[in-house]
Amino acid sequence: MRKTKTAWLSLFLVLGLIAAACGDDDSAEANDDGTDTTAAADDDGGSDSLSGTLEGSGASFPDAFYQAAIVAYEEATPGVTVIYNAVGSGQGKSDFADGLTAWAGTDSLVKEDEGLDPDEFLYIPTVAAPITVSYNLSGVDELQLSPDTLGAIFNGDITSWDDEAIAADNPDVELPSTAITLAVRADGSGTTSNFTKYLEKATGTWTLGSGDTIEWPSNAQAGQRNTGVAQIIQDTDGAIGYVDLADAEALGLTYAAIGNQEGEFVVPTLEGTTAALDGAEIADDLTYDPLDAAGAEAYPIAAPTYVLVRTSYEDQATADLVIDWITFLLTDAQDLAEDELYAPLPDSLRDRALAQLDQITVG
Amino acid sequence: MALVDPPVREPLDLTRARLSTRRRLADRAATAVISLAFVVALVPLVAVVGYVVTRGSGIMSWEFLTSDIPRQYRVDGGGMYPAIVGTLLTTGLAALMAIPLGVLGAIYLNELGRQNRTARAIRFLADVMTGVPSIVMGLFVYTIWVLRFERQSAFAGALALACLMLPIVIRSTEEMLRLVPDELRQGSLALGSHRWRTITSVVLPTALSGIISGAMLAIARAAGETAPLVFTVGLVYSPSWSLSDSSTALSAQIFRNASQPFAGAQDRAFGAALTLIVLVFAFTALSRFVASRLAIKS
Amino acid sequence: MTTLTPITIAERPDLTIRARGSRLDAAFRGLALAAGLVVLAVLALIAYSTVDAALPALRAAGLEFVTSDRWAPNAPDGPHLGSLAFVYGTAVVSSIALVLAVPVSVGIALFATEIAPRRLRRWITTAVDLLAAIPSVVYGLWGIAVLAPNITGVYGWMHRTFGDLPVVGALFGPASSGRSFMTAGIVLAIMIVPIITSITREVLVTVPRGEKEAALALGATRWEMIRGAVLPHSFGGTVGATMLGLGRAMGETIAVALVIGSRPQIVANLFATGDAMPAVIVNQFGESSGTFRSALIALGVFLFVLTIVVNFMGRVIVNRVQVRFRGAA
Repeated sequence: MRKTKTAWLSLFLVLGLIAAACGDDDSAEANDDGTDTTAAADDDGGSDSLSGTLEGSGASFPDAFYQAAIVAYEEATPGVTVIYNAVGSGQGKSDFADGLTAWAGTDSLVKEDEGLDPDEFLYIPTVAAPITVSYNLSGVDELQLSPDTLGAIFNGDITSWDDEAIAADNPDVELPSTAITLAVRADGSGTTSNFTKYLEKATGTWTLGSGDTIEWPSNAQAGQRNTGVAQIIQDTDGAIGYVDLADAEALGLTYAAIGNQEGEFVVPTLEGTTAALDGAEIADDLTYDPLDAAGAEAYPIAAPTYVLVRTSYEDQATADLVIDWITFLLTDAQDLAEDELYAPLPDSLRDRALAQLDQITVG
Repeated sequence: MALVDPPVREPLDLTRARLSTRRRLADRAATAVISLAFVVALVPLVAVVGYVVTRGSGIMSWEFLTSDIPRQYRVDGGGMYPAIVGTLLTTGLAALMAIPLGVLGAIYLNELGRQNRTARAIRFLADVMTGVPSIVMGLFVYTIWVLRFERQSAFAGALALACLMLPIVIRSTEEMLRLVPDELRQGSLALGSHRWRTITSVVLPTALSGIISGAMLAIARAAGETAPLVFTVGLVYSPSWSLSDSSTALSAQIFRNASQPFAGAQDRAFGAALTLIVLVFAFTALSRFVASRLAIKS
Repeated sequence: MTTLTPITIAERPDLTIRARGSRLDAAFRGLALAAGLVVLAVLALIAYSTVDAALPALRAAGLEFVTSDRWAPNAPDGPHLGSLAFVYGTAVVSSIALVLAVPVSVGIALFATEIAPRRLRRWITTAVDLLAAIPSVVYGLWGIAVLAPNITGVYGWMHRTFGDLPVVGALFGPASSGRSFMTAGIVLAIMIVPIITSITREVLVTVPRGEKEAALALGATRWEMIRGAVLPHSFGGTVGATMLGLGRAMGETIAVALVIGSRPQIVANLFATGDAMPAVIVNQFGESSGTFRSALIALGVFLFVLTIVVNFMGRVIVNRVQVRFRGAA
């Protein structure tokens, strides 16, 4: 008898859940490249007449900023839904190449074997942010790391926190003898790419190359996305890893001050990032490299992030949505960047990025 | 000649009152070890279910069941409504595809083909198919459907789940059909029924409760699957009822949120886990109810 | 007086199937056959499309795929696609799971069939069935949120206590974090206990009652009865149940992916991080393309084949045992 009652109770619970689902009916027609549009958009790009869903995926580094921007954009443009799935730069580029998404987020540049022709897409820089070297070491609240020490740690040559190289960088700190665990990315990551590019440039001790994926030493533990790395750091005493500032701050992680070209130990801040951006040279396709920038105030591991858009979309509606969304990202959304702990683009770069959008065609 | 008395033997003691200490201790020790195994098993199982239930109930509320998924992992609050919709949609559609096919296939195997070559081949391959790792199923649907149509969708997810469910439904239905006594079939045929009539009005009703029960177990299993959905179903933050659009599911959301360090995300993961467990338990309990209550007593 | 009129042969009703008109029957048969063939078709499609997609990687990597443990699909000097580290990880994690789960499962099954009071037995069976229904992702969530962060203390203790033993000591190396082969093995063990238990229980109840009662009648204690009458009969079935549990453990993707640490390596230390076949597929598939993607699909095919073999052996053993003792169905 009791079993019957339990069964009926469970059934009602399930039916209740189903009954609660009197949600919207999304009966939009599907297009081929990651959008649904139910109405054609006006040529003047007025937000009121746009509607549909825009799908994007990619880097987790700018995720906090993009999500905040999406919320603001959807408020300004009711009828449009933007989805950004932070799966890592590698998958972002792959989904974009496969035609699953209309736009992609990536911190790293597109390589030859990633299935995209250079004239099929455009780079749109959006924001920049420091990559923090966050760590978890009980009793140690402040840490300074010179580039060579940093390189040696991530190369696997320094395996314990009380190593003399670390002690030399931190004469006033008492370092425990905990073993070092490296917290790194398991997925293909633009953050990894930028971090290792810095290590290649600035240190003499890094030997493992650079790219979206690295063969890390044996004391590494890998997580998915920036937040996965942050989780490893949070959970493991003796861990050290690379995480974007927004996530590090949100979790209260401690991060190290890194020695820059002038020999100054700089903490990751937005000011340090903007200082690094100032000197960076911008290529014709709008990519730039602020890593290991000169200047006493510059934070040496400042990383750029880009959005990829197609040079040509199959239908007008998708193209309009993309242009409208990216324009928002480059204009109104830039005001949100600092709140989310990202450095907005310098005006000159932003204007050039807006001009890039004019290159998008249809058909 | 004097009769020799038979040798006197002590009467056998079968009451175990005079067991040697060694044997008694061995018996007690074995009982203790076996009971210990039971207790040891209880600890983690209770730990898992207990933790999920307590932490999940902490966030469970009507809000949670009806709110959208928050855009940022780091915020607290929000809900899993789109995931509930997605799970119901994908699992429901998968059931609609797999169960009729599976029952019909099992009918062929047990009633019509029996032991002929085709039936044996199908039976063998259905067994093989139950062993396909769920991730391979997901990759398969991704390659032939998602990439072909260049979109992730609830339908693709349902397709992957249906492929997982089909061999399970076929095997359990065949078992149930096998339990129907042959005399019923023979009686029906002897009275002049056509074969299809025999199957639909005699065999199926007899086996129905078992078939339904097996189907519900397959549904419960499909509702909990994650790997087939990871690459096929996409992501949404608001509920989507459309089959051709992206969707999400409770299992996929649990996976995404599990590796997030933010308390808000982990709370939502446990809330989704509790919802999923309740759903799965409901179907499992319902399936046993159907099996026991609605069975035709032979 | 009435006369009986004999019926001629020609007038007797013909009840043979041939005479009954079988168009609907044929249609029904065709429908059912088609449904069955769908299984064939789907499986053939899976086999064809996955093997076809896996070939480029196998051709590129050649024998290295099964002999090398270096997995670096994006290495600057060309892709290195050695799967050994993942095979090792799957093997280690599944072994740990079996070592932990089988004794416990057999214990529960024995408890439920021989020792528990009769009223308790239904509840135990119900509980075990419900636990088998818990989705694996929930176990994974619990593993990463509760088990991994809190178990390093235990690992540290085991390292200090057993680490210096000869031979076995290498298994208990230093533990830097909770994500390791051992943690994944523990989560898997918890997951497969219900499966092994329920099948073992079914095998245990097929032991002929007469044999058990005969042992007891001869004065055996309960344990002696179990050892002499129950276990020998059910040994084969338990082995079969174990293999089915192994099959499930090998294919388990999500729970392992969350707690194994994602660092492919072949080391003896059970507390070190590692990686496993299905885990690396789900972690890296999304971003892969070209040869890399093909290699991941090849891993999937490899895993598929291994799981089929294990499952098949398990089912054969269980069926053989059940036929022997229950009689053919």
